[in-house]
Amino acid sequence: MAIENPLHQFTIERLIPIHIGGVDASYTNSALLMTIAVVLVTGFVVLTTRGAALVPGRWQSVTEMFYEFVVNMVDNNAGHGARPYLPFIFTLFAFILCGNLLGLIPYSFTFTSHIIVTFALAVTVFIGVTIIGIARHGFRFLSLFVPHGVPVVLLVLLVPIELLSYCIRPFTLSIRLFANMLAGHTMLVIFAGFVATLGVAGVLPIAVDTALELLELLVAVLQAYVFAILSCLYLADALHLH
Amino acid sequence: MDERDTQDPLRDLEQRLDKARRGRKREASGAGAEGGSGIPGNALGLALRIGTELVVAVVVATAIGWACDRWLGTRPWGMIVFFFLGVAAGMMNVWRAVKGMGMAVGYRQPPSAERDKDADWSDDED
Repeated sequence: MAIENPLHQFTIERLIPIHIGGVDASYTNSALLMTIAVVLVTGFVVLTTRGAALVPGRWQSVTEMFYEFVVNMVDNNAGHGARPYLPFIFTLFAFILCGNLLGLIPYSFTFTSHIIVTFALAVTVFIGVTIIGIARHGFRFLSLFVPHGVPVVLLVLLVPIELLSYCIRPFTLSIRLFANMLAGHTMLVIFAGFVATLGVAGVLPIAVDTALELLELLVAVLQAYVFAILSCLYLADALHLH
Repeated sequence: MDERDTQDPLRDLEQRLDKARRGRKREASGAGAEGGSGIPGNALGLALRIGTELVVAVVVATAIGWACDRWLGTRPWGMIVFFFLGVAAGMMNVWRAVKGMGMAVGYRQPPSAERDKDADWSDDED
């Protein structure tokens, strides 16, 4: 019996082929999962807060807790003046979290395991934050790259390093999420592949997979959290120059 | 909840909520002052950040160097220079991430702490 290719789960399949002027804009399984995530999050939030009561019911308090969690995250990490960007951070967090969790359902697809998806999200954050910084502070924004209280000779060395560490942000942000999801899901399938070949001893890989699935649940939540919190921190950099 | 006297229990609830919130805030700031023994989720998030921070900085910087070399034909100098810059940037990012641990996973110390240690040159780097 052939063991399934552990990377097969990441293949993009065209569900509805669409070609516009030579550009492949097909509706893929990745896009389907993204649609589901968006519908799920929107539906959940809208439905649970529709008959909003002063004393929340069970479902409403789930949404309220989630909302307050994000509000606290933004307030604590991006500081004051960051409230206007709360909806964006909330959406980002909910979308990634939902995508990660949906990917944990067997036979589904994890869109956050594709570098292009996470990179697009990270670049959106990066460009947005840079624009916010420049719009708020103008040329003073560039002082972000000039550490103060440093001899001029060292500046020659430090400014490129600062600049580099700033430009690397979208890469670290996207690679962290993508690599965690890719590695975790690959591992799950590799262990699952042993189940059939080992016969009775296949119980062992099943046990490992069960444990891994729980670990992946933690990673899924935590990586969405890390992505959102880092976006907050980058935002804080742009809002409050030092 | 009873419908008879909504006004009173609600006010009572608000007071209790306020009290609880203040208590939590004090708790959080206390944990921050001790230097990052705060919420385990935060600590774990930080731990997961650091590895990629270091590796990605080096890889991306080296890639930029390689691209520069291809573009300007300065092989191998761009790659060498950018490799070392990447290592430095990666280490700096990790150091910052660890240092800003007090309040949250951060690039910078919380404002109050920053003012306290303003005399210390090592806190002025970012």
